[in-house]
Amino acid sequence: MSDKNNKIPFNEDNYTHNINRNNERKLDRRGFMKTLVGAAGVFAVSSLPWGVLAAKELTGLGDKKYPKQKITDVSALPIGDAVDFSFPGEHDSAILIRLSENKYVAYQNACTHLRCPVFWKKDEGEMICPCHHGKFDVNSGEPTAGPPRRPLPEIHVKVENGAVYAVGVKRYEA
Amino acid sequence: MKRSYLPVALLLAVLMLNIIFTQYMVHQYFYENYTNTIIAAVINVILFPVALLIYKKGVNVHD
Ligand code: FES
Repeated sequence: MSDKNNKIPFNEDNYTHNINRNNERKLDRRGFMKTLVGAAGVFAVSSLPWGVLAAKELTGLGDKKYPKQKITDVSALPIGDAVDFSFPGEHDSAILIRLSENKYVAYQNACTHLRCPVFWKKDEGEMICPCHHGKFDVNSGEPTAGPPRRPLPEIHVKVENGAVYAVGVKRYEA
Repeated sequence: MKRSYLPVALLLAVLMLNIIFTQYMVHQYFYENYTNTIIAAVINVILFPVALLIYKKGVNVHD
């Protein structure tokens, strides 16, 4: 057994024997690059949940399912007219508008400003909120004037056997 | 001994792209363009091995 280098601890009164150069511990080019790679790793990892959420959204797993509900008979709703109903719950008031022979749109009609009921103004071709004169585009539910900033949540409708059914809700983004 | 600062510059560029794509990803998510969100997320993820590669290649050059 040689006594070379197997004395523990080293016979030394400091712990800097492995530092050979002044300022060796300072952030150098290599250390800086390591930091950068680490930051790239953080970005990569933090991207993952967004990707997962988006994928979930695309595959429709996030959509809630509601039982379809009859709104009205086609014969009872002339072109250009609207009818109020509630969907999906009995307190979620909504409006169905018949735009043409086969085009129906439906929205939850609580204004996205302060939840007043929005109604359909046939001769102006717009949805209007009486409280602060918010206006919504009838084709998309997007706000076009007034205080509302978010679109009305759209309800998907389907026509079957001469009746109009509500089948689902585009998710509401509060 | 002359050092190469090219890898450092490249890594900084990668990080800049990371920032850009992260911002784009979050915005596209809230605009409900989920396909774009996924594309940006994938780019962000593959930027990490790219950064690692740049580091591995660059770290031994003249150091
Ligand atoms: S509540 Fe509809 S505009 Fe204010």
